[in-house]
Amino acid sequence: MIKQDIKTLEEKSIFVLREGKQKFKNVAALWSMGKDSTTMLALARKAFLGKVPFPVIHIDNRIDFPETYAFRDYLAKKWNLNLIVAYSDIAPDSLGSACCGKNKPETLKKVMKQYGFDALIVSIRRDEHGIRSKERYMSPRSKSFKWNYKDQPAELWDEYSSKLDEGGHVRIHPLLDFNEIDIWRYIKQEKIPVNPLYFSRNGFRYRSLGCTNCTVPVKSNAKTIDDIIKELESTKIEERSGRSMDKEREYTMQKLRALGYM
Amino acid sequence: MQVKTISLLGHKDHGKSTLIGSILMETGAATQVRINEAKEYSKRLGKAFEPAFILDSFAEEREQEMTYDTTRAQIKYKKLAFAFIDVPGHEELIKNMISGASYGEIALLLVSAKKDEGIRDQTKRHLFISRMLGIKKLVVAVNKMDTCGYDQSRFESIIDGLQEFIGRIGFAKENVKFVPVSAYNGENLVKKSKKMSWYKGKTLLELIYEGSEDHDSSGKGPLRLLLQGFLEGRNDLLVGKVIRGKLNSGKTARILPSGTSVKIKEITVKGRRVKTAKAGENVAVLLEKKVTEDVRGSVVCENASEVRPESTIKAKVFVVLSFGEKPNIKFNGNDVPCKSVNVLKYVDTTNGSESTRGKIEPLNAIIAQFKLERKIPAESYDETKELGRFVLYSKGKFAGIGVIE
Repeated sequence: MIKQDIKTLEEKSIFVLREGKQKFKNVAALWSMGKDSTTMLALARKAFLGKVPFPVIHIDNRIDFPETYAFRDYLAKKWNLNLIVAYSDIAPDSLGSACCGKNKPETLKKVMKQYGFDALIVSIRRDEHGIRSKERYMSPRSKSFKWNYKDQPAELWDEYSSKLDEGGHVRIHPLLDFNEIDIWRYIKQEKIPVNPLYFSRNGFRYRSLGCTNCTVPVKSNAKTIDDIIKELESTKIEERSGRSMDKEREYTMQKLRALGYM
Repeated sequence: MQVKTISLLGHKDHGKSTLIGSILMETGAATQVRINEAKEYSKRLGKAFEPAFILDSFAEEREQEMTYDTTRAQIKYKKLAFAFIDVPGHEELIKNMISGASYGEIALLLVSAKKDEGIRDQTKRHLFISRMLGIKKLVVAVNKMDTCGYDQSRFESIIDGLQEFIGRIGFAKENVKFVPVSAYNGENLVKKSKKMSWYKGKTLLELIYEGSEDHDSSGKGPLRLLLQGFLEGRNDLLVGKVIRGKLNSGKTARILPSGTSVKIKEITVKGRRVKTAKAGENVAVLLEKKVTEDVRGSVVCENASEVRPESTIKAKVFVVLSFGEKPNIKFNGNDVPCKSVNVLKYVDTTNGSESTRGKIEPLNAIIAQFKLERKIPAESYDETKELGRFVLYSKGKFAGIGVIE
């Protein structure tokens, strides 16, 4: 995995975050308590003089890991976050893509409407998935959350789209350029708190975190951040290999994202 | 690791995505999961294995064998990393091509050597756009050499067919390299091909590597701080990015185009108070006094005479959509309406010729004077890139890109 220049990545993220805050009236962020969205919050604190100046939304299907809930409450207090918890209860038969593709976006739609958010910061990265690498730094979504990937707005240099459909919103992607290994290098450099589930216990660790239903750990002995960085230097395994919904059917990620998956 | 961005250019079906896919496999940058997935989908669609599917991830892209939108893929090569920016070759997707190409540092053009393919209008348009965007280094990969029996004369005829155009649009001869390849078979990409012993030059990656050696001198010179706006709605707290030179606390500077004089009290970079901020850094700046104007898209300079606050700009524009007298200019986050457009020259982007008569037509270029509703802090694109470029919109639609002369 390629290690990029951290400083360049950091500057770009700060620029995109500030640009998002300038362009839109009512910005919120999704926070899954995972490594990426937590890194994004750390970057926001740099961009906005020590504060996270927007609400952070946790779409909670009530079956996240206990460690995840504990981490959420710990950091929300420590960083004085304006946390919005929106419950997305799942039916027993709606696991995997049915949960992530339907229940969670439906809950998010309600929250967005309730608070009137016109932009949403989402901490996706290009190297996670072929579909995510097609994303823009700022990307409009329709009222029904649809991603019109066949006709994305032009995005040149630092000129981002501010096109808003009636009732729609714009997704802001400040971490698009980061690779997985860069996230960990940045976490190390900045001493960003992380969910303990990322570290190996009994020979397994979570490399990508979802809820208890759709995430499985991968084989790993990485017990520290340094171990993780070392592991990622030579790994041939995909980051999201422990995420069941990615593999359910062909083009699941494309369909999920087109429908508004985070 | 320093990452150099390589923007792909070329007509549709000349092999851009296939080339990147092959390079990703040969250098070990593609994971087995992605390769297997590409293999599986090739099979499912009844096709021979298509390395392009490692990049083309949309269902539609695979079914129709065309790239819809731009994407990126990275590899390691010697001391550098390359990020290949794949772009669509189809005319109607030029908006997405330009979006990708605008981030490129080096251009990699593909021209198919296959019978009936060769140099096409789109081949030249892409070159025109990349040169207009300021790309200086170009590698031309003459692809599909396997379809012409690795014939040296075919390779040379494509060089002959392109060289004059490349020179005319402003590429220096020493900055342009040609290499014969077969993207699908991996000939001359990472390893020297045994099938083209007549070719004495370097492999594709080696040529790109050589092209990456020059140092970027942008960011040097006098101060330019490009402003995004106010922080927390406070009129004495600015945010922006230093694009050139150094910003020093305690100094007096001017905000342009308004000309307002300000004193820099404190500078914060990434949460830390600093005395000096340098090019590339995003800053928060506390001023001694509040300012009353809107600062978004304005620029802070120490010496106000260096930047012209202009209400008329002369620019070269690549047209994506025909527009009338009153398009809008997007300039560093600001939307500025035009009062009028006075076309001085019409440029045919397929041969570089200029004429005083013509129409504002998609896929061609114009050199024109744009009269704006208000002043912008403009510089020539050669002088300061960020202050010398804009995006054109007509009736809310992307209509073209411009560089200020």
